[in-house]
Amino acid sequence: MIAVLALIAGVVLGIVFHPTVPPGLQPYLPIAVVAALDAVFGGVRAQLDGIFDDKQFVVSFVSNVLVAGLIVYLGDQLGVGGQLSTGVVVVLGVRIFGNVAAIRRHLFRA
Amino acid sequence: MTATGGGERRTFTPDFLTELFRNPLDPGYADAAERKARGEGPSPNARKTYRTIMAVTLVLLGVLLVMAYRQTMEDEPARTRAHATLVEQVQDRRVSNGELQERAESLRAEVAGLRERELGGAAVQRLRDLEAATGLAPVRGSGAKVTLADGATTINPVTGDRRTEAQVKDTDLQLASNALWAAGAEAIAINGERLTATSTIRQAGEAILVDFRPVTSPYEIVALGPDDLESEFRDGYAGRFFAELVKRYGMSFDAAEVDDVTLDAATELKLRVAKPITPLVPSSSPSEGGR
Repeated sequence: MIAVLALIAGVVLGIVFHPTVPPGLQPYLPIAVVAALDAVFGGVRAQLDGIFDDKQFVVSFVSNVLVAGLIVYLGDQLGVGGQLSTGVVVVLGVRIFGNVAAIRRHLFRA
Repeated sequence: MTATGGGERRTFTPDFLTELFRNPLDPGYADAAERKARGEGPSPNARKTYRTIMAVTLVLLGVLLVMAYRQTMEDEPARTRAHATLVEQVQDRRVSNGELQERAESLRAEVAGLRERELGGAAVQRLRDLEAATGLAPVRGSGAKVTLADGATTINPVTGDRRTEAQVKDTDLQLASNALWAAGAEAIAINGERLTATSTIRQAGEAILVDFRPVTSPYEIVALGPDDLESEFRDGYAGRFFAELVKRYGMSFDAAEVDDVTLDAATELKLRVAKPITPLVPSSSPSEGGR
């Protein structure tokens, strides 16, 4: 409940204050969003499994975003940024898919 | 992933992707739950702190989502705007190109008028003959008109292959105009595009370009020349070739005599080599066009 309220509050804050992304960080924004979504779906699944843990969620969220951004940054420096971000998106995408499938099993028993 | 979870030991699986698909959830959650069950969980105080931190994280996530959405939305109009600007520029340039062409034509006419006045007599006559022969001046007279048109394009209903043998190719037009020159033509125009010594007839995909201007079927090759131009063309190699194409592929071909036709001058003439007749007088003022 708190989580949903906090999320809504964040969206409202974002709309009201209209924060801008520094241009240097703009390329990493989509990757950060995908990484964050992975953490969120993992958290939702854990919640449904009854093993949700606040600390675990925060740590996985922050580290996901940072590591994803770092990998892409590293790739950019090495000249393989595009390929590496594809790799990150594939891995995170697979995880999101698996978690969503688990959530679906919980919700629909199918 | 070597974390220990449950009672069994988690080991490296050789197949990374299988592992990824089978265990999308962070093993950390299971570990935390286990610790909690064992009574080693964080104290109620610490739990409250973690809860707050989680709420803050989710607020951050909301802001992140909005920022990403905003950025994507803002990028989009910029992209379409760039496209629209380019289209506009192309249209502008096309209009100004047309205007410049008109201006060039009127200037050319003015130059011709002035030249006639200044030179006079035999020189002008010679110049006119030369221009007529090279395609730089409109000419009028009688000659032959060769018409070539694409036959039907059949599409194989099974394989979807298009049979385009019946289409007129650039080589056909080249052959026709070369045969006309050989038969004594003095001036030739294809669909109104006057041929000069440097004209090109080329295929670009399905279109044929004469001097880089597209022409379409039916192709009318009008040539001015001797009275027997038409019969000579028809009986010559080219005429027989086209008759064969008609018989075999269903292309359409016709040659007829024409009287009193006017062929326009070639639109674009490029000066490639120019030499001053009188040596240039060195002067301090910058000479115009002295490249």
